[in-house]
Amino acid sequence: MKDLTDAMADMNEDKALELTQKYLDEGESPVEIFRAYQAAMEEIGKRFEQNLYFVPELIMAGEMMKAGAGLIKPHLKDDDDGGGAGKIGKFLIATIEGDIHDIGKNIMGMMLDLNGFEVMDLGVDVPLQKIVDAAKEFKPNVIGLSGLLTLAFDPMKALVDKLKDEGVRDDYKVIIGGAQMDQHVCDYVGADAWVTDAVAGVNQSKAWVAA
Amino acid sequence: MIVIAEKINGTRKAVAKAIREKDADFIRDLAKTQADAGSTYLDVNAGTAPERESDDMIWLVNTIQEVCELPLALDSANPQALKAGLAVAAKKPMINSVSGEQSRIDGVLPLALEYKTELILLALDDHGIPENVEGRLKIVRDLVKRALDGGLEQKQLYIDPLVTAISTGTENAKITFGTIEAIIDEFPDVHITGGASNISFGMPLRPLINRFFIAMAIQAGMDSAIINPNDRELNEAIMTAETLMGRDKFCMNFNRAFRAGKIGPKKPE
Repeated sequence: MKDLTDAMADMNEDKALELTQKYLDEGESPVEIFRAYQAAMEEIGKRFEQNLYFVPELIMAGEMMKAGAGLIKPHLKDDDDGGGAGKIGKFLIATIEGDIHDIGKNIMGMMLDLNGFEVMDLGVDVPLQKIVDAAKEFKPNVIGLSGLLTLAFDPMKALVDKLKDEGVRDDYKVIIGGAQMDQHVCDYVGADAWVTDAVAGVNQSKAWVAA
Repeated sequence: MIVIAEKINGTRKAVAKAIREKDADFIRDLAKTQADAGSTYLDVNAGTAPERESDDMIWLVNTIQEVCELPLALDSANPQALKAGLAVAAKKPMINSVSGEQSRIDGVLPLALEYKTELILLALDDHGIPENVEGRLKIVRDLVKRALDGGLEQKQLYIDPLVTAISTGTENAKITFGTIEAIIDEFPDVHITGGASNISFGMPLRPLINRFFIAMAIQAGMDSAIINPNDRELNEAIMTAETLMGRDKFCMNFNRAFRAGKIGPKKPE
């Protein structure tokens, strides 16, 4: 089904849907068809990293994935959770208190979802305690803190300190994301990793849950 | 074009560092280069934690005023920091900004009314930025009414219709242009301001998109911008658009800028 993967990766929406329908009609396994989509997502992520694709391609890929899933789902058996790919991990995401920027957070959440993560999104300007409480309840593999402003650095550090105080720091990986992140900020905050775009964030998170 | 120069902003890393280290030369240089580029106001955002923002604001204002006589735009959501800035500003500053967020209406608006300052109004509220013209207009209408009722005049108000990334919504630029037109229709004497760079987030060739966006916003009625005044190509787009919109008698601004080497090919040093 390389043609399906290529059609999706090349942003040929009509062709991807047409091929999806064709393979379903021919009795191909819905799980395999779904995997063709996931292979395309990998390729799209690579092209994003190479500055060939940009945010609109990521968003359009999300739409195409949704449309494809709509065709595939009725063919799935009940025990085939999410196209047989299953969920690969849990991710808790929030824009930290003091910051209201949500574009990066939303794109990250969407990309994680497309890549098989179960995502809990707490929104923007989220108080520290709410994040800690949600983490204990949801038990994510990764906590992702988004923030664009330098003002977000201190609350991010405070959250990591809070996780330490409550003795749960090692239960989660903590990743910080935003245009101004770098190793210096990451060290200051006490996070496990920093990223400046969603694709890098997804790749890091996948590496963690695979380890 | 009323240019509000954006670079002295503590939410930018280099400026945050300068504030932390009290690097007055860095701040003075930013003030001077922005003033020399023809700015009308210098935005001042201390961008620091609330407990030290007032002190940092005072230090920034004093430092800038050592080298520059332009009026400032005090940029904060923190009433204490704004008050501190108002107390040391040599010329009556603009306040940046009040939105429909309750905390700003309660905390910042009364200061603008008390000091009778010019004021930037943002078309967002506690629910975020509306995704349509009507939603933004509703917020602006309410804020303008509050400002006028409090004794400010339309011409003291700078409305920022806001812009969200074209990469995340195909109609996003049109929403901004439509909002500008609707505001001017209702309040003909207010100014329209705003930034240019949000439009191009997540896109290739961002400066190209920014230039066309600002030119089209000027066509829709924008007469002020919160920008980097040292961005030569952006300035070219602004000046050209203003000339084409009939705001440049005998094209004198454009041609003078050309002769001075401020637009077009750079003159040899």
